[in-house]
Amino acid sequence: MARGTNMGEALGSVVRGAGMAVSQAMEKNFRSPRAGGSARSRSNFYRPQLLAALGLVAFGALVIWTASLTIADASFPRHCVGIVLGLVAAFLVWRYDYRVLGNASRALFIADVALMMLPLVPGLGWSAKGATGWVKVPFVPLTFQPSEFAKLATIYLMAALGAEYNGHIETLKDYVKLCAVLVVPFLIILLQPDLGTGLIVLVTGASIIICSGARRSWVIVTIVLIVLFATLVVVTSMTPGLPHLLKTYQLNRLTVFVNSSVDPAGNGYNLQQAKIAVGSGGFFGKGVGNATQAGSGFLPEAHTDFVFALLAEEFGFIGSVGMLALFAVMILSTIALAQRVEAPFGKLVLAGVATMWSFQLLQNVGMCIGIMPITGIPLPFISYGSSSMMAQLTAVGMVQSVWRHIPKTA
Amino acid sequence: MSPVILVIIVLLVILACLVAAFVMLGRGTTRFTFDIGGGVPRASGGNDSSAETGFKNRLLGLSVFAGSVIGALLLKLWSMQLVSADDYSAQAESNRTRTISVVAPRGRILDRHGSELVSNRASLCVVAKSDVAGDAIEVKLLANLIGMPAMAVKRKIESTSEGAQSMRTVAEDVSRRIVAYIDEHTNLFPGVQVTQRTQRLYPNGSLAAHVLGYTGAITADQVDALGKASGGSISYELGDTVGQAGIEYQYESVLQGIKGTQTVYVDADGNVLSTSSKVEPQSGSDITLTIDKDVQAAAEASLAGHIKRLHDAGRQDCNGGAVVVLDATNGDVLALASYPTYSPNVFVGGIANDDWTDLSSDAANNPMLNRAIAGQYPSGSVIKPLTAFAALNYGIATDASTYVCTGYWTGFGTGSGQYCWNKSGHGSMTLETGIVNSCDVVFYEIGKGFFYADDPEGMQETFRAWGLGSKEGIDLPGEAAGRVPDAAWKRDYYASYSSDDSSWKGGDDTNLAIGQGDLLVTPLQMCCVYAGIAMGGTVYKPHLLKSVDAAVGAGTVIDYKASETYQVNEADDNLSLVRRALKGVIYQESAAQASHFTTLPVTVAGKTGSAETAKSQPDGWFVAYAPYDAPRYVIAATIEYGGYGNEGAMLVVRDVLGQIYDCPDTSTQQTSSGER
Repeated sequence: MARGTNMGEALGSVVRGAGMAVSQAMEKNFRSPRAGGSARSRSNFYRPQLLAALGLVAFGALVIWTASLTIADASFPRHCVGIVLGLVAAFLVWRYDYRVLGNASRALFIADVALMMLPLVPGLGWSAKGATGWVKVPFVPLTFQPSEFAKLATIYLMAALGAEYNGHIETLKDYVKLCAVLVVPFLIILLQPDLGTGLIVLVTGASIIICSGARRSWVIVTIVLIVLFATLVVVTSMTPGLPHLLKTYQLNRLTVFVNSSVDPAGNGYNLQQAKIAVGSGGFFGKGVGNATQAGSGFLPEAHTDFVFALLAEEFGFIGSVGMLALFAVMILSTIALAQRVEAPFGKLVLAGVATMWSFQLLQNVGMCIGIMPITGIPLPFISYGSSSMMAQLTAVGMVQSVWRHIPKTA
Repeated sequence: MSPVILVIIVLLVILACLVAAFVMLGRGTTRFTFDIGGGVPRASGGNDSSAETGFKNRLLGLSVFAGSVIGALLLKLWSMQLVSADDYSAQAESNRTRTISVVAPRGRILDRHGSELVSNRASLCVVAKSDVAGDAIEVKLLANLIGMPAMAVKRKIESTSEGAQSMRTVAEDVSRRIVAYIDEHTNLFPGVQVTQRTQRLYPNGSLAAHVLGYTGAITADQVDALGKASGGSISYELGDTVGQAGIEYQYESVLQGIKGTQTVYVDADGNVLSTSSKVEPQSGSDITLTIDKDVQAAAEASLAGHIKRLHDAGRQDCNGGAVVVLDATNGDVLALASYPTYSPNVFVGGIANDDWTDLSSDAANNPMLNRAIAGQYPSGSVIKPLTAFAALNYGIATDASTYVCTGYWTGFGTGSGQYCWNKSGHGSMTLETGIVNSCDVVFYEIGKGFFYADDPEGMQETFRAWGLGSKEGIDLPGEAAGRVPDAAWKRDYYASYSSDDSSWKGGDDTNLAIGQGDLLVTPLQMCCVYAGIAMGGTVYKPHLLKSVDAAVGAGTVIDYKASETYQVNEADDNLSLVRRALKGVIYQESAAQASHFTTLPVTVAGKTGSAETAKSQPDGWFVAYAPYDAPRYVIAATIEYGGYGNEGAMLVVRDVLGQIYDCPDTSTQQTSSGER
């Protein structure tokens, strides 16, 4: 989490008190039994969601460990450091009364924009894979990706704004303004340019707006407009002479998505190799450390973007189903919690987080098996990369925080 | 593409209308603000009285979305990992395995007594991994060590002709010193190894070079052609070594073994990670030839020696020749020599440019040409036995015909008189003594007789019946057919000349009768003709293959069965007349000639020949068979521009007989020049 930058003083106070709180909370809360609807003996942790998330983290650590055997870039210790930092961040967020943020939409908006702009500041930004989405941490050989945290800030921001309408957005004007707020971080991300993260922000924010009570007709029109605009962008990018908003590699990815056999040695190569890795895993998988596609370097980015292909190759259909089941438990329990929480702000935060996970899952796994175009979106809890791991664990903390701060008067 | 764009445009228009409609209808009243100031938040949690209409359904919708995402992924994974798993597994397997072919040793070539004519030898090669090419320092070190330019070393390492995953050959036949240096300094040469390979070895140097031929890198055209020729049992690929001439070429599919394969696991960059299964190569079969190494060596030595002697004696154009030794009883080729010659060893591992320049220079006089089967010469007087058969068969002459030779013949009028080689005249001649003394006048008369005969092409028909003008079918590539000229041929050949010049003349017949003019024969053809005379008209197909030996264990796979090529029907009386005459050539024509043969333990029959050429000296011929009574060996020799037949070619034949009967020629008598 972007410590001390702009989350406000509230967060600062939590950090100060954290040291004491950890040991107490551990002892008290992990042991308390899960008791149905009784508020008095209710655990401080929302277990289905937490356990599923921890299961995913463990599964991911195993996969990254096997990747680290053959891929020089994949450092298992670094991955573990990411997990630990993420758990700390999640703990802090869990302790924090998120409800304070419901009235801090202006601060959230500024924080969001600031995070998004960070990589664009000269001297701070650091480029990889064609996007300037990373920030160099001074004095240590570390980079982090502020947009991962900006996603979370956007969830709080949109939830705070949407909650004001208490489940019913009355006027089109308000709806348009909500959309306009969402477009700001999206456009800044496109400047990096990181279309993948931009899409997550857009989809997550849109989901919150919809859940906030936007009229169905407005939503449909908006979606239609987006589709129209996207089509226009693609068509102009494909037509010589017109301005090309899409980069060539993005256009190629789309072409390959439509027909993967177009260019098996070039742009279609990654997709083809990922599909071979997934398919050759079969029912039981090739076993830990026996992934030939990833181990011999045929599968590119086997520890980051295409980590699911590695997982599917090693653990087969059983492993894939296991992972999807953990995701299902995590996402659906989050939504179930949203049904239970009465405050709109909490509902919308949970809806945002659930949407983010669903969409990232769809996008990442989908691209490995050829049902989504290739974008550089990490698989939550599994992909190598500390920023993503910390952000996703923070999101777990966000869910747990909502659980923890359900008024005990129910 | 255009219909798609059309559909998109139509959709765009419809959707734009929809949007406009919604914007018109929608109206806003509440002012949008960020924070609501210091007041109580409308919904900041904790207020149970807040309206929740719709939240439940919307969140339910979100669950459906999440559920369908997971469902869709599951469905696709089920299809990929369960339904199509085998297909993907096969693709993954072919991704990471590569098959490298392992060259099979080539079969050896042996002479009839089992002595090695061609074998294989171990060769130490320096090989390198492909990535060594990227290390400029290592390349330079290697180049200095081997003594090659660094660029050449780099190019060899970058070459993929041996397959992308194979080690690249940098140098073959490197010295022990280089091997030792590389072994002792492995840290200087990462990725470089010394391996042992087999190379073709011709242990007797140039011996029988024209028979054995040589090997070379396969050409693109040969890859398909040879694969087909082997019936698909051998798969050829670029980089293979195949026979390019001689027996090496003729019996390529026998000598070439079946390659083994080594399957290796590779990574995405093509680096070999580990080896998998291996199929051992199957070496090629050994071939036993009919060649007798000793006879071959004697023939070559004698041919070279006499050519050199004649050349040194001032006959500057004398620089080529050929010898054929046949077994008349079955067609076995005991020796086949051609001069000048070359060593097939220069072709091993690719011929060097300098060597190629040497071999193809004018001064070298085309050493690659196998003159014994592809050299076409006018026959000179060695044709006279066939002319005699023609005359006897077509009634131009009988054994009782008599002729008078004055040394100058004017049978076609005084204006077109022709000399006998013996300008002082042979006096009274018969057909038999005409052959013995090679009297041209006797044969001018026969030529004239054919010119005016009802069947004017009887000579040509006889020559063709004896195999002239067509290939004998020896199992070597590049055999020439020779030429038997007739009226039709002359009309075509001289079509651009006046009709008078291109018409068949009496002089053409007299020339043909004595083997001059447009007649062209190969030494092999003349050898076969004399084998037929010796065997009463039966000519066996000349062949070099004796047997193909089993690749594994003892025994043979194929034994050559002597096959009769053709049977010429000549009356016994005519045959014995000619044979008597041929014996007479040896023992009666001149005492000097006879002195060379009387020392032999067998009786010999033969004929000299001297074919006039455009150059100062005639092509000398001598063809003989022995023993006279039970014919076995037939020997034909020719020396280009070497003078008369008995000055060189006859002595070569005598030397070969000396080798066969272990009885060297001791006579130093020279026949007086001018005799044919």
